Amino acid sequence: MDATNKVTGTPISRIDGIAKVTGKAPYSMDHPVKNAAHAILFKSTVAAGTIREIDSTAAEKAPGVLAVITHKNAPKLNTKGGLRGGALLQSPDIEFYGQHIGIVVAETFEQARYASRLINVTYDKKEAKIDFEKVASQARLPKDKERADAKRGDVQSALTQATYKVEEVYETPIEHHHPLEPHAAIAEWNGDSVTLYSSAQIVNGAQGAAAATLNLKPEQVRIVSPYIGGGFGSKGGQWANLALAAVAAKHINRPVKLALTRQQMVNSVGMRQHNRQKISLAATSDGKLTALSHETVTHGAIENEFVEPCGDCSKIMYDTPNSLITYRVVPMNLIIPTYTRGPGKSTGSFAMESAIDELAYKLKMDPIAFRLKNEPARDPSNGKPWSSRTTVQCLSEGAKAFGWDKRKAEPRQNEQGNYWIGYGVSAGTYPAHQRPTSAVVKLKRTGDTVTATVELAAADLGTGTYTILTQTAADALGLSVQNVTVKIGDSNLPPAAGSVGSVGAASYANAVNDACEKITQELLSKSGKQFFVRPTASQLMRSEKLTEFQTRVDSKAPESAEEYSAHSFNANFAEVAVNKSTGMIRVNRFLAVTGAGKILNPKTARSQIIGGNVWGIGMALTEESVVDPRWGNFVTRSFADYHVPANLDIGHLDAIFINETDEHVNTLGVKGIGEVGIVGVAAAVANAVFNATGKRVRELPITPDKVL
Amino acid sequence: MRPFTYTRAKDATSASQSLANNPNARFLAGGTNLLDLMKEDVERPTSLVDIAELGLSDVKSITSGSNKGGISLGGLGKNTDAANHPLVRQHYPLLTQAILAGASGQIRNMATNGGNLMQRTRCPYFYEVAMPCNKRTPETGCGAKEGINRMHAIFGWSEQCVAVYPSDMAVALAALDAVIHVRNASGQERSIPIADFHRLPGNQPDRDTNLMHGELITSIELPQNRFAEKSYYLKVRDRASYAFALVSVAAALETEGNIIKKARIAMGGVAHKPWRALKAEQALIGKEATEANFRAAANAEMADAKPLSHNAFKVELGNRSIVLALQMALNGGKA
Ligand SMILES: Cc1cc2nc3c(=O)[nH]c(=O)nc-3n(C[C@H](O)[C@H](O)[C@H](O)COP(=O)(O)OP(=O)(O)OC[C@H]3O[C@@H](n4cnc5c(N)ncnc54)[C@H](O)[C@@H]3O)c2cc1C
Repeated sequence: MDATNKVTGTPISRIDGIAKVTGKAPYSMDHPVKNAAHAILFKSTVAAGTIREIDSTAAEKAPGVLAVITHKNAPKLNTKGGLRGGALLQSPDIEFYGQHIGIVVAETFEQARYASRLINVTYDKKEAKIDFEKVASQARLPKDKERADAKRGDVQSALTQATYKVEEVYETPIEHHHPLEPHAAIAEWNGDSVTLYSSAQIVNGAQGAAAATLNLKPEQVRIVSPYIGGGFGSKGGQWANLALAAVAAKHINRPVKLALTRQQMVNSVGMRQHNRQKISLAATSDGKLTALSHETVTHGAIENEFVEPCGDCSKIMYDTPNSLITYRVVPMNLIIPTYTRGPGKSTGSFAMESAIDELAYKLKMDPIAFRLKNEPARDPSNGKPWSSRTTVQCLSEGAKAFGWDKRKAEPRQNEQGNYWIGYGVSAGTYPAHQRPTSAVVKLKRTGDTVTATVELAAADLGTGTYTILTQTAADALGLSVQNVTVKIGDSNLPPAAGSVGSVGAASYANAVNDACEKITQELLSKSGKQFFVRPTASQLMRSEKLTEFQTRVDSKAPESAEEYSAHSFNANFAEVAVNKSTGMIRVNRFLAVTGAGKILNPKTARSQIIGGNVWGIGMALTEESVVDPRWGNFVTRSFADYHVPANLDIGHLDAIFINETDEHVNTLGVKGIGEVGIVGVAAAVANAVFNATGKRVRELPITPDKVL
Repeated sequence: MRPFTYTRAKDATSASQSLANNPNARFLAGGTNLLDLMKEDVERPTSLVDIAELGLSDVKSITSGSNKGGISLGGLGKNTDAANHPLVRQHYPLLTQAILAGASGQIRNMATNGGNLMQRTRCPYFYEVAMPCNKRTPETGCGAKEGINRMHAIFGWSEQCVAVYPSDMAVALAALDAVIHVRNASGQERSIPIADFHRLPGNQPDRDTNLMHGELITSIELPQNRFAEKSYYLKVRDRASYAFALVSVAAALETEGNIIKKARIAMGGVAHKPWRALKAEQALIGKEATEANFRAAANAEMADAKPLSHNAFKVELGNRSIVLALQMALNGGKA
């Protein structure tokens, strides 16, 4: 049956939903690979030094053990192959606590884990840099050119002259991604080629990095990743465990399953770094910003740097003649930080949007009015026009929907029983890009029924990629969704961008749309006919009596997109209740208003936004990874200590999408929604806590002890 | 996890005998604590004796003896069933609230009353075997005392150990003067008042309780009282559910007019055992139930607190929590 109505933009349920809730969707460790042995990694218990000796005699004799692999007997790997975090067993050097120092392979997981505990390691310890307080003053300019100082005008003199200003330091702690599915891989060799069943946000990236690390060609490595149990950036770049699964499998000449335990996740697959952000703002008495600066100090690993761009939102959100964005980074003996949902934007917006609220309060201005007053007509960082910008609509429509007019301007004016009630607002943004992606469309006709298969090495993190691509293809081909099959998550498929940086939907959907467009054009020319009303690909398959037809497209962003500054924008509204006696905070209501161009599926999009909101609430109130400053180990290693919000922490959530048509960003007008949902959330909550209690907390998370 | 043997006990005496014969054997009840600790290599039993099928799970009225008029909870009863039993809900709502404030629905469905009493500390240094911990491995030192100790004790700690005991249920039991009934391998029974069941760390932090190896918790008795009208369990924590207490307070009052006849206050999250706030209780007897008197009582108790480097906030929080819990109790215990 051909489709009669367009499905893109309608809230259909996830295509893969039934498979997931019935356990039929295989995650990394679920793939039916025969005869697999089990491996477990073991880790250093010092933060810096060298391994003197690894005594594995007892482990090797333990029941079921097939091999113990350490730097002594590991094959030579390429440490610059693109896997993050080092820890590839190439030398006895230790750079952080919890660095992988070996693999035990056994018949069962339990045997492997037991044997790993019989291993005795001695070290020559070195002094380690594990206390940020002690080393922060040694931070220096990052090597990355994109983190160079960005200066406009003269912030310092504007600050000196101003009567209204804020100069404060905001701290965000280390956080972990902790996807429910830990990082895991099954490695299966076939001659010189290896298949790695392992979830990857960038399928081709994982393939390239694993191949380079293992000294193989990309075509010798196949990544199979049909479903991903969450990643949030930690499965964007890949980590040592992926290659070590292949090493173990080669070593015993059998397939191997290697999964990290929850406790091992904290020092295996990156983290969000601790950021110390100094914000300085100055304004005239009528609320026009005259200066804005955002100076971030953070930490990297010993060898490599990673600096999340905390100043990114600050660069473009407000109109000001004087601005300064800087970064400084210090190496530490901790695992390298990495991209974490809304990298820089979520943490940076906490600092900036809190400071904006602080200045609005000093100016006795409504914080929404203050923001509107400083709305930039063009991108202040590069002078480009906006492809479209919805900050004003997000704030105004949100204010109406939320009942912002009921907010009391002064703190401690809204009391309900033993609770202070407060309202908070923030604005945010996330860049919109389309990255090169190829796609193949295959059409098949049996009788009158035409079906399509769409193939590309895209990723679905549980976010709805399968669903939106099915919708896109169905509309572009004139088919109903039942007759479209989407195949993704396999490096044997045409190369695609990744589900990172919120580029997934724009890159994949435009590629699929382009492929469908192309196949329709090819069918049209094949028919040699002229039509008044252009037939669909499906109709052409029938009219031309074709049984099979396929095409491939290599798609990229329109060149004109470069002329514009393209971003998703949002506004967040939070209502909190703070217990007067205990300081416990509850988010009663949260509203996110988002302008993200065309929304392909309002249902999956809403899930993206409210999922981001929940993490943002976690960032605001509960999440923190704590390092012991003597040993460099994380003391928060499980969900009992690392507090993600529980159901009871989350009140009523609402998501509104602005009806936005962006003609410049890309063909379909799609912007990203994967990350904008977390941007600004923590600030909205912190601002609400201030409005409730008069207490300004500048150090996340806002636990009860900080508001007492 | 290290290799171990697994047997399913048929009766209480043989279960205890299996333990008596092997110092490294453990009872396995719901397993929600023991198995986690085994996976982390903290507990290393060589033998598990599954006691799930011994019965001993009923909630009953006590019709004779010193606790006549009270109730008895089976040592192997599930936390969920104890919390929801009509006798408990009606006569000991404090206990219902405390149990429901702990863990999650799924865990409470597995967790037993005996296992809950015996659960071990959540101190992260106890949980990570590479860290020093006198409780896990005597003589290795205490990682927490000079380390990250925001969650740790402010009362009764020693140089050896600053860990807190994590149970919520036991805090209510302490306020309710519960009595723990146990039986050993020879079939001998004894009863231990809850106040003497758990220990302060002293020089032997590896011993959490005064239960002897092989003794099985068969039941928990709650004496009759008149607190049902005025009791409240307050749990302050870093998130609304599924987190251990920063500070918790079980408060119960018996009043005549506005005069306090009896008061019971026990605290969680502050010590190596449920902390009975006897000074605060003393300060309330015969007084009017007013906020000022609640404050004075809280101050009397918290003045003795000795915070560590990261948990000074628990003193102020403890103060406020005692006051709030008493107020809530006075108001009939409704949240
Ligand atoms: C993530 C998480 C969060 C939690 N949060 C909370 C919380 O907020 N508050 C709270 O109070 N608890 C909390 N708990 C702990 C939970 O309440 C305990 O794990 C549970 O009560 C233990 O009971 P069990 O029957 O599973 O014990 P098991 O794990 O089977 O046994 C624990 C110990 O008790 C011994 N034992 C068991 N039964 C007996 C008996 N009858 N006689 C003698 N010894 C016995 C065992 O040998 C073992 O040493 C949490 C647990 C988890 C995993």
